[in-house]
Amino acid sequence: MIQFLQQMINGLSIGSVYALMAVGYSLVYSIMNFSNFAHGGIIMLGAYFGFFFLTLFNWPFAVAFLGAAICAAALAVLVERVAYKPLRMRNAPFLYFIISAMGASMFIENFVIATIGPTFKTYPAVFSREPFRLGPLFIGRLDTMMFVISAICLAALIYFIDFTKMGKAIQATAFNPRASALMGINTDLIVITVFAIGGFLAGIAGVLFGMKYTVYPQIGFITIKSFIAAVFGGLGSLPGAVIGSVILGILETLISGYFSSQFRDLISFSLLIIILVFRPIGLMGKSTEEKA
Amino acid sequence: MLKVENLHVYYGGIHALKGIDISVEKGEIVTIIGANGAGKSTLLNTISGLVRSREGRIIFKGSLLRPVPHHIVMKGICQVPEGRLVFANLTVKDNLLLGAYLRKDKKGIKKDLEKVYELFPRLAERQKQLAGTLSGGEQQMLAMGRGLMSDPELMLLDEPSLGLAPILVDTIFAVIQDIKKIGKTILLVEQNAYKALSTADRAYVLEQGKIVKAGKAADLIEDPTIQESYLGQKAEAGDRKSEVGF
Repeated sequence: MIQFLQQMINGLSIGSVYALMAVGYSLVYSIMNFSNFAHGGIIMLGAYFGFFFLTLFNWPFAVAFLGAAICAAALAVLVERVAYKPLRMRNAPFLYFIISAMGASMFIENFVIATIGPTFKTYPAVFSREPFRLGPLFIGRLDTMMFVISAICLAALIYFIDFTKMGKAIQATAFNPRASALMGINTDLIVITVFAIGGFLAGIAGVLFGMKYTVYPQIGFITIKSFIAAVFGGLGSLPGAVIGSVILGILETLISGYFSSQFRDLISFSLLIIILVFRPIGLMGKSTEEKA
Repeated sequence: MLKVENLHVYYGGIHALKGIDISVEKGEIVTIIGANGAGKSTLLNTISGLVRSREGRIIFKGSLLRPVPHHIVMKGICQVPEGRLVFANLTVKDNLLLGAYLRKDKKGIKKDLEKVYELFPRLAERQKQLAGTLSGGEQQMLAMGRGLMSDPELMLLDEPSLGLAPILVDTIFAVIQDIKKIGKTILLVEQNAYKALSTADRAYVLEQGKIVKAGKAADLIEDPTIQESYLGQKAEAGDRKSEVGF
């Protein structure tokens, strides 16, 4: 029982970071109906920004953290301008967007390998490794912070989408870009906003991930897990992305805890295939077409 | 108020509009009638900036319109699109408020919201409901109310009666008269030529991307060629069962 609770806590913590990444996939999907595979690259860059701000510039943690998020947001918008906007302007088929996304993703990864190098970088210890104790349970300080920061960001995002004018305009554009344009909504600005938000959260997730593990150019690959979570929850749905991520996080830690961590990724990817075959709309998704 | 001059639009290799000239004066209801595929919606979408023209000019209140949808809404032209396109995932009230997206005058927005509820009491009853749960007729009312919320000077109505039961068609055309009375100018595109001509002041007949006839609506409704080509289908169109709602 205690081991189970311990795994649940770990799962919740990793699941909440998956959620930060998954909402980025979902937001872009909801507006543009394709999966932005360059998102993983942005998460990786966020992790590097945080690392360099802390080690080279010796910025205080909070400043480095925010700086990484802002830089990641700017780069996400840059990717949109360079890789997707020209396609949007001529109403290119979805497949072109996906290919362009994969190209951008490979470019980012190889750019980092060529400039920074392929080696692993370890974040300086910002938090003490000493965990909190809650009765028989150990709760890591970093895990706690991962959960708290993710939860705050997600709550802020959901408030923004559901209760502000811009948020409603994003929902309207997700439903029908044409009708939104006829209401005077600048849909290009909506696209920029969505990429900026996704990138900002990706930067935060990247720093948290980098601190938990290490930073290396292929870290973006891990973020495929958050893509699985987004598909599981239903692409295009924010609550779906959050719920899917938390379930996936808990599932993964339970599997590595009770069986072996070798099985973890096997099960995650099996989950992806099972969902795509039997329930492509996910838990609460918006439509079934063009899932990849 | 609105002047379209020598407008040419192409879809790929298809020449959809072949030199259109029309004008709309303040306070008028002008209708464009024509068969499916004649280019009626293309014309409205070009005025709204959704479709680019290759040649020609669109002048609104003396200045050239930039073909950018949100600029055009800002200038005071609002389109109520074909098929209504309400935001089904949002409430009726949110839909209406999105119509006022570019406006900053909170008081004016509130006043116009009340005006819309007065015009469409059904929407007031259902303001907290998701727009997707409304019937076809209610969605058309919502789409028109949403359009009014931008406080436009010129409203472009694209097939407002499409797919509605005959009794609702009458309601919608009565509302179009009401909208005129509150001082809006209307450019109406319709397949229901009889209804459109009975409601409008002036009319244009569009055939295969060209204006083939223009004049007072009251005269065109008596025109034998119009009666044969467009009004003969009136009974048939009116009898057609509604596809959406009720």
